[in-house]
Amino acid sequence: MGHGDVRYAEDVQVGEKLGPLEKMLTTEMVTRFCQAWGNAMPNRFTDDEVARKDGLPAAIAPGAMTMAIVANLLTMWARNGQVRRLETLFRRPVRHNQQLRLVGEVRAKRVVEGEDQLECDVDLQQEDGETVVTGSAVLILPSRAGATPS
Amino acid sequence: MTTPDLEYDRSLLDKEFPAGTFHVESERILAYCEAVGETDPIYTDEAAARRSGFRSLVAPPGFCNLLERASARPNIHLKFSGIGLHHWQAFESFAPIQAGDVLEAKTRLVNVYARPGRTGHSAVVVWETTFTNQEGSLVASVQSSFLTRPRPTAGGA
Repeated sequence: MGHGDVRYAEDVQVGEKLGPLEKMLTTEMVTRFCQAWGNAMPNRFTDDEVARKDGLPAAIAPGAMTMAIVANLLTMWARNGQVRRLETLFRRPVRHNQQLRLVGEVRAKRVVEGEDQLECDVDLQQEDGETVVTGSAVLILPSRAGATPS
Repeated sequence: MTTPDLEYDRSLLDKEFPAGTFHVESERILAYCEAVGETDPIYTDEAAARRSGFRSLVAPPGFCNLLERASARPNIHLKFSGIGLHHWQAFESFAPIQAGDVLEAKTRLVNVYARPGRTGHSAVVVWETTFTNQEGSLVASVQSSFLTRPRPTAGGA
Protein backbone atom coordinates (compact mmCIF):
# COMPACT_ATOMS: atom_id res chain seq x y z
CA MET A 1 0.00 0.00 0.00
CA GLY A 2 1.25 3.50 -0.85
CA HIS A 3 2.14 6.07 1.74
CA GLY A 4 1.34 9.09 -0.31
CA ASP A 5 2.81 11.01 -3.20
CA VAL A 6 5.99 13.02 -3.56
CA ARG A 7 5.32 16.53 -4.79
CA TYR A 8 7.38 19.60 -5.54
CA ALA A 9 6.26 23.21 -5.32
CA GLU A 10 6.84 23.88 -9.03
CA ASP A 11 4.36 21.18 -10.04
CA VAL A 12 1.42 22.43 -8.00
CA GLN A 13 -1.24 24.75 -9.40
CA VAL A 14 -3.65 26.92 -7.44
CA GLY A 15 -7.06 25.23 -7.64
CA GLU A 16 -5.58 21.73 -7.53
CA LYS A 17 -7.64 19.29 -5.47
CA LEU A 18 -6.40 17.20 -2.54
CA GLY A 19 -8.03 13.84 -2.06
CA PRO A 20 -10.65 12.59 -1.71
CA LEU A 21 -9.33 10.35 1.04
CA GLU A 22 -11.72 7.92 2.72
CA LYS A 23 -11.21 7.24 6.43
CA MET A 24 -13.08 5.70 9.30
CA LEU A 25 -12.60 6.34 13.00
CA THR A 26 -13.69 3.16 14.72
CA THR A 27 -14.59 2.82 18.40
CA GLU A 28 -11.40 0.78 18.80
CA MET A 29 -9.27 3.62 17.34
CA VAL A 30 -10.98 6.17 19.60
CA THR A 31 -10.28 3.97 22.64
CA ARG A 32 -6.64 3.66 21.60
CA PHE A 33 -6.44 7.43 21.21
CA CYS A 34 -7.84 8.04 24.70
CA GLN A 35 -5.25 5.59 26.09
CA ALA A 36 -2.40 7.45 24.36
CA TRP A 37 -3.86 10.74 25.59
CA GLY A 38 -4.21 9.41 29.16
CA ASN A 39 -7.87 10.36 29.41
CA ALA A 40 -9.87 8.37 31.98
CA MET A 41 -12.45 6.05 30.44
CA PRO A 42 -15.35 5.63 30.05
CA ASN A 43 -15.80 9.13 28.70
CA ARG A 44 -17.89 10.95 26.09
CA PHE A 45 -15.56 9.65 23.38
CA THR A 46 -15.84 5.98 24.27
CA ASP A 47 -19.26 5.58 25.84
CA ASP A 48 -22.71 6.50 24.46
CA GLU A 49 -24.21 6.81 27.93
CA VAL A 50 -21.59 9.29 29.17
CA ALA A 51 -21.93 11.20 25.88
CA ARG A 52 -25.72 11.51 26.34
CA LYS A 53 -25.24 12.83 29.87
CA ASP A 54 -22.92 15.44 28.32
CA GLY A 55 -25.74 16.45 25.95
CA LEU A 56 -24.37 14.67 22.88
CA PRO A 57 -26.37 12.21 20.75
CA ALA A 58 -23.77 9.43 21.08
CA ALA A 59 -20.05 8.87 21.66
CA ILE A 60 -17.97 11.10 19.41
CA ALA A 61 -14.43 11.19 18.03
CA PRO A 62 -12.13 13.69 19.79
CA GLY A 63 -11.43 16.87 17.81
CA ALA A 64 -7.71 16.12 17.93
CA MET A 65 -8.44 12.83 16.12
CA THR A 66 -10.46 14.42 13.36
CA MET A 67 -7.62 16.95 13.02
CA ALA A 68 -5.15 14.08 12.73
CA ILE A 69 -6.94 12.62 9.72
CA VAL A 70 -7.18 16.07 8.15
CA ALA A 71 -3.38 16.27 8.56
CA ASN A 72 -3.23 12.83 6.97
CA LEU A 73 -4.95 14.18 3.84
CA LEU A 74 -2.07 16.67 3.54
CA THR A 75 0.71 14.13 4.14
CA MET A 76 -0.87 11.59 1.75
CA TRP A 77 -1.11 14.25 -0.92
CA ALA A 78 2.52 15.30 -0.38
CA ARG A 79 4.43 12.93 1.86
CA ASN A 80 7.57 15.03 1.46
CA GLY A 81 5.73 18.17 2.59
CA GLN A 82 5.65 19.65 6.07
CA VAL A 83 2.43 20.76 7.72
CA ARG A 84 3.45 24.15 9.10
CA ARG A 85 0.02 25.16 10.32
CA LEU A 86 -3.41 23.57 10.51
CA GLU A 87 -6.53 25.23 11.76
CA THR A 88 -9.90 23.52 12.08
CA LEU A 89 -13.38 24.49 13.12
CA PHE A 90 -15.38 21.62 14.63
CA ARG A 91 -18.82 22.33 13.20
CA ARG A 92 -20.57 19.14 14.30
CA PRO A 93 -19.70 16.25 16.61
CA VAL A 94 -18.29 13.33 14.59
CA ARG A 95 -19.73 9.88 15.35
CA HIS A 96 -17.59 6.73 15.26
CA ASN A 97 -17.69 3.96 12.66
CA GLN A 98 -18.88 5.93 9.66
CA GLN A 99 -17.27 6.48 6.29
CA LEU A 100 -15.59 9.88 6.42
CA ARG A 101 -14.35 11.72 3.37
CA LEU A 102 -11.52 14.25 3.32
CA VAL A 103 -11.18 16.78 0.55
CA GLY A 104 -9.05 19.85 0.00
CA GLU A 105 -7.99 22.48 -2.48
CA VAL A 106 -4.87 24.58 -3.00
CA ARG A 107 -5.97 28.19 -2.55
CA ALA A 108 -2.69 30.06 -2.81
CA LYS A 109 1.01 29.60 -3.44
CA ARG A 110 3.71 31.85 -2.08
CA VAL A 111 7.36 31.98 -1.15
CA VAL A 112 8.07 33.14 2.41
CA GLU A 113 11.70 33.51 3.47
CA GLY A 114 12.80 31.10 0.78
CA GLU A 115 10.15 28.50 1.66
CA ASP A 116 7.50 27.37 -0.79
CA GLN A 117 4.21 27.57 1.07
CA LEU A 118 0.81 26.38 -0.07
CA GLU A 119 -2.36 27.59 1.55
CA CYS A 120 -4.99 24.83 1.38
CA ASP A 121 -8.63 24.54 2.35
CA VAL A 122 -9.53 21.24 3.96
CA ASP A 123 -12.89 19.67 4.79
CA LEU A 124 -14.02 16.54 6.55
CA GLN A 125 -17.41 15.28 5.39
CA GLN A 126 -19.50 12.66 7.12
CA GLU A 127 -21.37 9.91 5.29
CA ASP A 128 -24.43 12.05 4.45
CA GLY A 129 -22.11 14.58 2.77
CA GLU A 130 -22.34 17.23 5.48
CA THR A 131 -19.09 19.05 6.27
CA VAL A 132 -18.45 18.40 9.97
CA VAL A 133 -14.92 19.80 10.24
CA THR A 134 -13.60 22.61 8.07
CA GLY A 135 -10.25 24.31 8.08
CA SER A 136 -7.17 25.59 6.36
CA ALA A 137 -3.54 24.58 6.29
CA VAL A 138 -0.12 25.91 5.40
CA LEU A 139 1.95 23.22 3.76
CA ILE A 140 5.65 23.62 2.96
CA LEU A 141 6.80 21.79 -0.15
CA PRO A 142 10.37 21.30 -1.30
CA SER A 143 11.24 22.77 -4.68
CA ARG A 144 12.75 20.75 -7.50
CA ALA A 145 15.50 23.34 -7.68
CA GLY A 146 16.53 22.67 -4.09
CA ALA A 147 15.86 18.93 -4.05
CA THR A 148 18.74 16.58 -3.35
CA PRO A 149 18.59 13.43 -5.47
CA SER A 150 17.87 10.37 -3.38
CA MET B 1 -29.47 40.96 22.74
CA THR B 2 -26.75 42.26 25.04
CA THR B 3 -23.57 40.31 25.57
CA PRO B 4 -23.41 38.97 29.11
CA ASP B 5 -20.33 39.64 31.21
CA LEU B 6 -18.78 36.25 31.88
CA GLU B 7 -17.61 35.57 35.38
CA TYR B 8 -14.20 33.90 35.68
CA ASP B 9 -10.82 34.47 37.27
CA ARG B 10 -9.57 37.36 35.14
CA SER B 11 -6.26 37.51 36.98
CA LEU B 12 -5.21 34.44 34.91
CA LEU B 13 -5.58 36.20 31.55
CA ASP B 14 -2.44 36.39 29.47
CA LYS B 15 -0.15 34.84 32.10
CA GLU B 16 2.01 31.86 31.31
CA PHE B 17 1.70 28.69 33.43
CA PRO B 18 3.80 25.51 33.37
CA ALA B 19 1.66 22.80 31.74
CA GLY B 20 3.83 19.71 32.16
CA THR B 21 6.97 17.96 30.96
CA PHE B 22 6.52 15.36 28.24
CA HIS B 23 9.03 12.61 27.55
CA VAL B 24 8.20 11.65 23.98
CA GLU B 25 8.39 7.87 23.83
CA SER B 26 8.27 5.77 20.67
CA GLU B 27 5.38 3.84 22.22
CA ARG B 28 3.27 6.98 22.45
CA ILE B 29 4.03 7.95 18.84
CA LEU B 30 3.16 4.42 17.73
CA ALA B 31 -0.04 4.43 19.79
CA TYR B 32 -1.02 7.76 18.20
CA CYS B 33 -0.30 6.39 14.70
CA GLU B 34 -2.34 3.27 15.37
CA ALA B 35 -5.23 5.31 16.77
CA VAL B 36 -5.46 7.66 13.79
CA GLY B 37 -4.59 5.14 11.08
CA GLU B 38 -1.20 6.67 10.20
CA THR B 39 0.95 4.09 8.39
CA ASP B 40 3.79 6.10 6.82
CA PRO B 41 7.04 4.34 7.86
CA ILE B 42 8.79 7.55 8.97
CA TYR B 43 6.21 7.72 11.77
CA THR B 44 6.01 4.00 12.48
CA ASP B 45 9.44 2.50 11.73
CA GLU B 46 12.55 3.86 13.40
CA ALA B 47 14.92 2.54 10.71
CA ALA B 48 12.88 4.30 8.00
CA ALA B 49 12.92 7.52 10.03
CA ARG B 50 16.72 7.30 10.35
CA ARG B 51 17.07 6.70 6.60
CA SER B 52 15.11 9.93 6.09
CA GLY B 53 17.65 11.80 8.21
CA PHE B 54 15.89 11.85 11.57
CA ARG B 55 17.49 10.91 14.88
CA SER B 56 14.60 8.58 15.78
CA LEU B 57 10.90 8.03 15.15
CA VAL B 58 9.16 11.24 14.06
CA ALA B 59 5.80 12.30 15.46
CA PRO B 60 3.16 12.87 12.75
CA PRO B 61 1.76 16.39 12.34
CA GLY B 62 -0.98 16.75 14.93
CA PHE B 63 0.81 14.72 17.61
CA CYS B 64 1.28 18.00 19.52
CA ASN B 65 -2.54 18.09 19.84
CA LEU B 66 -2.41 14.89 21.86
CA LEU B 67 0.17 16.42 24.21
CA GLU B 68 -1.88 19.58 24.40
CA ARG B 69 -4.90 17.56 25.53
CA ALA B 70 -2.75 15.86 28.15
CA SER B 71 -1.27 19.11 29.49
CA ALA B 72 -2.33 20.76 32.74
CA ARG B 73 -4.27 24.02 32.92
CA PRO B 74 -5.24 26.24 35.80
CA ASN B 75 -8.93 26.33 36.73
CA ILE B 76 -10.38 29.64 35.56
CA HIS B 77 -13.54 29.24 37.70
CA LEU B 78 -15.86 30.09 34.84
CA LYS B 79 -19.40 30.51 36.14
CA PHE B 80 -21.28 29.10 33.17
CA SER B 81 -22.87 25.71 32.90
CA GLY B 82 -23.98 23.79 29.85
CA ILE B 83 -22.71 21.44 27.19
CA GLY B 84 -18.94 21.65 26.71
CA LEU B 85 -17.65 21.24 23.15
CA HIS B 86 -14.31 21.52 21.44
CA HIS B 87 -14.96 24.40 19.08
CA TRP B 88 -11.79 25.28 17.18
CA GLN B 89 -8.12 24.36 17.17
CA ALA B 90 -4.95 25.44 15.40
CA PHE B 91 -1.44 24.13 15.64
CA GLU B 92 1.81 25.41 14.26
CA SER B 93 4.81 23.19 13.84
CA PHE B 94 8.29 24.75 13.82
CA ALA B 95 10.57 21.71 14.12
CA PRO B 96 10.01 17.95 14.13
CA ILE B 97 9.08 16.23 17.40
CA GLN B 98 11.08 13.01 17.70
CA ALA B 99 11.13 10.05 20.07
CA GLY B 100 13.53 10.81 22.92
CA ASP B 101 12.62 14.51 23.04
CA VAL B 102 11.77 16.05 26.38
CA LEU B 103 9.23 18.81 25.85
CA GLU B 104 8.38 21.53 28.29
CA ALA B 105 4.79 22.79 27.92
CA LYS B 106 3.58 26.22 28.91
CA THR B 107 0.04 27.45 28.64
CA ARG B 108 -1.65 30.84 28.55
CA LEU B 109 -5.29 31.87 28.79
CA VAL B 110 -5.74 33.94 25.62
CA ASN B 111 -9.37 34.94 25.72
CA VAL B 112 -12.76 34.27 27.29
CA TYR B 113 -15.79 35.63 25.49
CA ALA B 114 -19.52 35.24 25.03
CA ARG B 115 -20.71 34.13 21.61
CA PRO B 116 -24.30 34.65 20.52
CA GLY B 117 -26.17 31.60 19.18
CA ARG B 118 -29.65 30.29 18.42
CA THR B 119 -30.20 29.01 21.94
CA GLY B 120 -28.62 31.96 23.75
CA HIS B 121 -25.04 32.91 24.46
CA SER B 122 -22.25 30.40 24.74
CA ALA B 123 -19.02 30.90 26.64
CA VAL B 124 -15.79 30.41 24.69
CA VAL B 125 -12.41 29.86 26.37
CA VAL B 126 -9.22 30.05 24.30
CA TRP B 127 -5.85 28.66 25.42
CA GLU B 128 -2.44 28.70 23.81
CA THR B 129 0.08 26.00 24.71
CA THR B 130 3.68 25.97 23.54
CA PHE B 131 6.17 23.11 23.50
CA THR B 132 9.92 23.67 23.81
CA ASN B 133 12.39 20.82 23.42
CA GLN B 134 15.54 19.91 25.40
CA GLU B 135 17.63 22.14 23.12
CA GLY B 136 15.49 25.14 23.94
CA SER B 137 13.81 25.24 20.50
CA LEU B 138 10.14 26.01 20.22
CA VAL B 139 8.77 22.97 18.34
CA ALA B 140 5.01 23.53 18.35
CA SER B 141 2.29 25.87 19.44
CA VAL B 142 -1.35 24.86 19.85
CA GLN B 143 -4.33 27.16 20.24
CA SER B 144 -7.62 25.63 21.22
CA SER B 145 -11.02 27.02 21.87
CA PHE B 146 -13.69 25.30 23.97
CA LEU B 147 -17.28 26.35 23.91
CA THR B 148 -19.91 25.83 26.59
CA ARG B 149 -23.41 25.98 25.13
CA PRO B 150 -26.47 26.43 27.32
CA ARG B 151 -28.52 23.22 27.61
CA PRO B 152 -31.79 23.35 25.69
CA THR B 153 -34.75 24.11 27.96
CA ALA B 154 -37.35 21.36 28.51
CA GLY B 155 -39.72 21.11 25.55
CA GLY B 156 -37.04 22.35 23.15
CA ALA B 157 -35.99 25.85 22.19
